[in-house]
Amino acid sequence: MSKPAPRATGSSTKDGGASFLSNSLHSLSIQHQFPSKPARSVPADSSSDICPVCKSSRYLNPNMKFLVNPECYHKMCESCVDRIFSHGPAPCPIAGCKRTLRKAKFRSQTFEDLKVEREVDIRRRVARVMNKVEADFESLKDFNDYLESVETTTWNLILKVDVEATERRLRLWEAAQKAETNSTKRSLVEDPSLLSETSHVILKKGGTQRKQQLGSTDDPLAGSGNDPETGFVFHGLKKRVAPEPEKPYDPYEGWSIDPQYYVVQDDYSVDWLTKAKDDPVHSVGGYDMRDFYSRALSDAFSGFGVFIEDEKTLEENPGATAAVASGGQDVNMDDVF
Amino acid sequence: MAHSPVLSPKPNPPGAGSRITTMNPKAKALAILNHANQPPAPSTATTPGDGGTDLAEQMNDEVRRKFVSGARLGEGTYAVVYSGHYRHDPSRLVAIKKIKLNPEHKDGIAPDAIREIKHLSELSHPNIIQLHAIFSTKEQNISLVLEHLPLGDLEGLWKNQSISYSGADIKSWASMLAQAVWFCHENYVLHRDIKGNNLLIAADGTLKLADFGLARSFADPGRVMTSMVITRFYRPPELLLGCLHYGGTVDVWSMGVVLAELVLREWFLPADTDSQQLLVICDVFGTPTEETWPGVTKLRNAAILGVAKRPQPLSYWRQRFTLLGEDGIDLLRSMLIMDPAKRFSARKVLEHRYWTNAPRPTKKEDLPKQGGGLAKVGEDLKRRAGETDSGRGDKVARKLDFGSMR
Repeated sequence: MSKPAPRATGSSTKDGGASFLSNSLHSLSIQHQFPSKPARSVPADSSSDICPVCKSSRYLNPNMKFLVNPECYHKMCESCVDRIFSHGPAPCPIAGCKRTLRKAKFRSQTFEDLKVEREVDIRRRVARVMNKVEADFESLKDFNDYLESVETTTWNLILKVDVEATERRLRLWEAAQKAETNSTKRSLVEDPSLLSETSHVILKKGGTQRKQQLGSTDDPLAGSGNDPETGFVFHGLKKRVAPEPEKPYDPYEGWSIDPQYYVVQDDYSVDWLTKAKDDPVHSVGGYDMRDFYSRALSDAFSGFGVFIEDEKTLEENPGATAAVASGGQDVNMDDVF
Repeated sequence: MAHSPVLSPKPNPPGAGSRITTMNPKAKALAILNHANQPPAPSTATTPGDGGTDLAEQMNDEVRRKFVSGARLGEGTYAVVYSGHYRHDPSRLVAIKKIKLNPEHKDGIAPDAIREIKHLSELSHPNIIQLHAIFSTKEQNISLVLEHLPLGDLEGLWKNQSISYSGADIKSWASMLAQAVWFCHENYVLHRDIKGNNLLIAADGTLKLADFGLARSFADPGRVMTSMVITRFYRPPELLLGCLHYGGTVDVWSMGVVLAELVLREWFLPADTDSQQLLVICDVFGTPTEETWPGVTKLRNAAILGVAKRPQPLSYWRQRFTLLGEDGIDLLRSMLIMDPAKRFSARKVLEHRYWTNAPRPTKKEDLPKQGGGLAKVGEDLKRRAGETDSGRGDKVARKLDFGSMR
């Protein structure tokens, strides 16, 4: 019989078995399922391999495959699905079931018991929306309370208790979650320095789409402050921390070499330099007199700002040796590697 | 373990009759240099004269004993490279570059080794290979202890067809290269041999500029420099034309060629001779004239230029370098301007909008790598210990490699 997935029993007692709650709920489900479902929901001939729609049997067609639709979980053979639903959505051919089914949703069943199949589907759907982990909560008790309410929601859907209200809450919760992740993503883009030309292009192309998105995300975002809008309220849920926005790329990777003690001018009129300065042989090969000026000044000032005592202490703790090695020249590092 | 017979200091070799003094000038010079780099050992170095070796030699031995050299990794024209590690911590790998004895310079250190030692001990930047220590062995060989960079070089990367990379990856590599060159120039060092071969990749994906064998500091005005530097494919036109005064822009040209090769995944400007190289450059960039490059006609080798050719149009660049985008093409063309005075300096390269515009450079740990990856790890794990995957001689009894035990 259906044993709840281990994930969902997180709120259970330590011995690993299904909790009292889920056990009792499950027994309830067995009692409730039969009267709540239409009379022929579980065909008696599930093992006899006869299609309830066209009555063809596997005896005549060994390749026959049965498909179900998660809308109503009525089993029928592949050829019936092809025949009835190829031209678009149609009502379920099983008597008493009026649901509209689509061909795309049909699939072969994973579990022999269709009740299990349905429960697994519901659990999967709920787990996708309510996907908090223990790290998202401040204490274990809060997390367990959360799991309890997840379980309650799941069983409400399985037992068809308050389906509409539960569905609504799930939808609200999903929208609230989506808005929260989107808002963190959006704050990254909104950083003006990151907004390059390409994103402008996108803005122009999909202008309407983007506006719509902004409009829709704003509402649940505003609602996240008011509790009823999110569908669920959990105690001790940590506020989602937006990841640190990536800084704009620095081509220097934090290094900067600027003279501290002098300013290099573009030109110096010194007698012994004029010959080289006016010599076209120098300029044609790309020899730059400014390189010479700054080098001469750098050499002259290279001892400034070097304190042997500081370097000795630095040498003793080996983490910062990089700074020492280049300390001979006037290197300022914004961050030490 | 501290005194293995192989590494113990030898007194004068029996054949060397001319060397009578116990003092070896080379070892002494190195000891002083090492002393400047590292904190001196507490006690042994200060006690003078034990066992007939002097202070400098003791210090040299001390440095040497810190490292264990292992398998031979490769051999170049002037050095042999061994893998090695710190004696106290085998997980800290190093590469030991043992300079070969150069018959032209028997009484001193070969100039390329001097250059390498001089500039590497001054430059410390994440994108420049780090020099850990220097020591001499057998009183004649100099060994440089360098950073261990296991993931090959940039040339191997673009040649390896099994690796594919994107524009963002190229930008990341180019950015690391540009930073290294900028740092050299900012410290007044010309590298003068930038090429894919000399751009090594560390285990974490960082690109490191290596091989400072041709480096020199910026010349004083009026001092000539040789124009016979930089590997031919990467040599800028002013050197091909025989300029003896040049600046940092020679390295920027090489950088541009490396970037172009990275995009094209083939040689950008291949040529067999120096004069042909110049013509190949002119094919792409047009023959320089007095208007585009003032003074070019008066250069030593200007006669090779020959008939005037027109530069390739922008469409040529857009077609071949699509991967770089408009900004990248603009930067590349600015790095490859014929007139060295108009060509970008390393600082201007870093200030270009290419780096900050989209796409953002790939983080170094996410860059594609060669010679690594899970497949290789798997292969390595599959092999039995001591086995090589050569296939040849697999059935022969395995030879024990004592070389790696040293």
